[in-house]
Amino acid sequence: MKSKGTFVSIVIFILMTSGCISERIENQKIDDGGIVINDYQWEDDGELTIVTYDVYGLTDEMLTEFTNQTGYEISLMKLDDAGSILDHLLQHKNVQTADLAIGLDNTYLQTALDNNVLWAHFADVPNISENTLIPYDGPYAVPFDHGYMCLNYDTEIVDGVNYTVPTNLWNLTEDAWNGKVALPSPETSSPGRAFMTATVDYFANDADNQTDWTDWWSAMSDNDAIITTGWSEAYETHYTGGYGEYTEGYVGDAHIVVSYCHSPGVESWYNGNWTKSAALDLPRAAFHQVEYAAAVQGGNLDAASAFIEYLLSEEVNLQMPTENFMYSVLEGTDLPEDSGYRYHSTVPSQPANVSSIEISNNMETWLSDWNKAMVDA
Amino acid sequence: MLEMNLKFPHWFSIVAYMLLILVPLWLALDRLIWVAGYDISSWLDSLGRNYISQGVIEFTILQAFFSTIATLVIGLPIAWQLGRYEWPLQSLIKSILTMPFVMPSIVAAIGFLNIIGREGLDIRSDEGTWFATLIIAHAWFNLSLVIRFCEPVLSTLDPMLEDQIRLLPAGRTSWGRIKNLWAPILLPSVAAAACMTFVFSFTSFALVRWITLGENTLESMMASIGSSAGIDGYMISRNEIILGASLIQFAVLLVSLWLMSWLQQKRQNLLPQASENVAKTANPTGWFVIIPAMVFALLPLVTILISSFRIRETTANGTSYSWGLDGWEYAFTATKSLPSAWDALLNSIGYASLTLIIALPLGWLLAQTIMLIETERPILARILDIATMLPFAVSSVMIGLGVMLGMIRIDAEFFYSFWPTPVIAHVMITTPFVVRIMLPALRSIDPSYEECARTLGVTKWNRFFQIKLPLLRGSILVATIFTLAMSMGEFGASWVVTRNSDWTTLPIMIDSLRSIPYNNSLTAPAASAVSSVLMLIAVTLFTWAEKFRPSRGGGMF
Repeated sequence: MKSKGTFVSIVIFILMTSGCISERIENQKIDDGGIVINDYQWEDDGELTIVTYDVYGLTDEMLTEFTNQTGYEISLMKLDDAGSILDHLLQHKNVQTADLAIGLDNTYLQTALDNNVLWAHFADVPNISENTLIPYDGPYAVPFDHGYMCLNYDTEIVDGVNYTVPTNLWNLTEDAWNGKVALPSPETSSPGRAFMTATVDYFANDADNQTDWTDWWSAMSDNDAIITTGWSEAYETHYTGGYGEYTEGYVGDAHIVVSYCHSPGVESWYNGNWTKSAALDLPRAAFHQVEYAAAVQGGNLDAASAFIEYLLSEEVNLQMPTENFMYSVLEGTDLPEDSGYRYHSTVPSQPANVSSIEISNNMETWLSDWNKAMVDA
Repeated sequence: MLEMNLKFPHWFSIVAYMLLILVPLWLALDRLIWVAGYDISSWLDSLGRNYISQGVIEFTILQAFFSTIATLVIGLPIAWQLGRYEWPLQSLIKSILTMPFVMPSIVAAIGFLNIIGREGLDIRSDEGTWFATLIIAHAWFNLSLVIRFCEPVLSTLDPMLEDQIRLLPAGRTSWGRIKNLWAPILLPSVAAAACMTFVFSFTSFALVRWITLGENTLESMMASIGSSAGIDGYMISRNEIILGASLIQFAVLLVSLWLMSWLQQKRQNLLPQASENVAKTANPTGWFVIIPAMVFALLPLVTILISSFRIRETTANGTSYSWGLDGWEYAFTATKSLPSAWDALLNSIGYASLTLIIALPLGWLLAQTIMLIETERPILARILDIATMLPFAVSSVMIGLGVMLGMIRIDAEFFYSFWPTPVIAHVMITTPFVVRIMLPALRSIDPSYEECARTLGVTKWNRFFQIKLPLLRGSILVATIFTLAMSMGEFGASWVVTRNSDWTTLPIMIDSLRSIPYNNSLTAPAASAVSSVLMLIAVTLFTWAEKFRPSRGGGMF
């Protein structure tokens, strides 16, 4: 019996102790540009670990091409969504688990900046459109795609006869829309956060001074709005106007959903210039979402910068609309006109105007207010 | 006396186990409290203050309650038929009906999604059916508990007892016999099965995650917000929610387990009424129970295999299906964003083997320790007994969070580059099962064998290898197979721990595949393909275990 005990003790000892012996090649670089990166230390081990979520644009071909061009071996750490990326970065601050984060958006970026989990990159990225640099224009993150969040509706059901096209967000709190609106939760989804942020601006600027955005959410909660964990559950499972109806697990009980203003364009592009989905262009109810690539503090900055450069190259970034279903961030680009992609996409006339700083300063308060509004009184 | 019986290995097993269980949980709690503040009432209040946790306790209790009822309603008639009558291929029938219990929960989820899906009953689009589906899936899963607990009592009861009661006034009617004979004899077993079913349904994660969208159990809710737990000054309410939820979960489960342990003891006292000379008769009408039951047990598994070959094609003309191996090919091909099912399979096998190497000796030693102190210090033995069941009460997601937050605290870089890290969680989860299987087996060994051998001068080692080991062989094999099956199918803790790493396991891969947006038509068949692999492994292990299961009193599982 004794030998068994000893054996267990050895195994547990191995498990419990941390015998990490890793050699760290210290690397120092002084940028010749404006930012001095003199206190960064990293090891260029020829590998690049990217922490990301299901970003379609990161195809195998595209990643392999990068390895062929630069020699860096890539591994992906795929998390659930943009929020999980931020969680991961905060959770593993000062612990090197990844070199590059792809997919933080402008509702999360500022928190990452405030917590110093990112490093300034030294990629050469010219030619990024002004519009996408409005939320953030600095060395710690580079936009790689963008798009607007909008409500989308099913034109076959919201046809002016059965349902009237909403002209105001309050319309959605009416009886007719009871249980027919799918909204991703701002707590667990970045489109949800983006849309909630838009509602803050929408109701701060409407004619009505008696009510604010939390009253609308309360009313939506009372009107049995479908709150989902993430975008795909809202769009694929609940929305009647999209490709969800062909797929497994489809429920189809919502005729209006939070998605991108160009989602109908994507539908059309897939279906050979046909879609029954349309974006609803209400002033200040759309949110300009910009997604970023950012070097992770303590990671391989050489590899991260090289990848950022590659991601922003024309070769890769011009493919964003068809590979990633988002707009390219390069100056002077637009969605392709094939199969009604651009025709069915809407550029909102007046998106919500909320700065990244405002978002960062208020997000936790907004989320807690949102929770108060949503729970039953 | 105590000092004489307990030797170093026993003390060591207790200390090692306590460290293994308590260190990660203590580190996690410490971290959560550091962020949330030590204010228990605020933790509990937070559950009602936040949208994500609102109504979760109610839903968790409600579904666990109905799942328990449904399991008993479906399970008792089956146990009765199996126990009271003679069936051709009895052991095969019993194996089929008890197999669902070793099926990983994610496999059950995929199976039931297939049954209610578009190509099945096509009721998925009606949200009103989700709750019932969840309840039935839980009943499917826990059916074997009712059969395993009640069937031995029924099948080995001395027939004299029933004959005698028929002669008494109280036993003239069948209701009288139920009231005065069957109910008192079966009650502890039924209650024990109900307790266990309640515990498993209460902590359900994979099934809730996939079947009742928009509803959470405490377990699935903690999993979904766990990734932002333990970060200084960030999302403080989530830390409160996790603390509040785990406190409630812990209290409810602890009470259930205490009840369970008490019932088990009562149950054991009843079993000696068993007789070996039971002659059972055939019961043709019983097939109306047995056949539907077997269909019920097998259906989810059959649909998994079928759906792994069914490929959806959507064109402008609508949706059609064809048959092919594309789903399998997709699952078994590595891409940059998704490892191949081969990698997942190798990881799963590796983790299961390592888990076994640690959990089996550890659980065995703990069981032996409990047995050794049982007569001298019954209260201490009971405390240790309960302590070994603690991981049941803590639940796998909490264990996962413990390991994740614990390893970040100790040395994150080391743990993230250390492939066996998930084994820590698997050992925590499987050791209690080993204890539960080994304890009755150890108790059943007549101590006089050991004494005789000692008197005859047989050495310690020879006593172990020539007497004890052969006597325990069956239970050791059952524990081995069970540990392997549990580890291979483990979902909750792995979901939390491996998400931040490269090491995917088969259950996690099924979940990831199924999470890929469905415009990829291979998502569903590929998830079914990996589920088929996991299912076949579970069936093989289970069939193997059935061969070695001690005929009676072989523990709970």
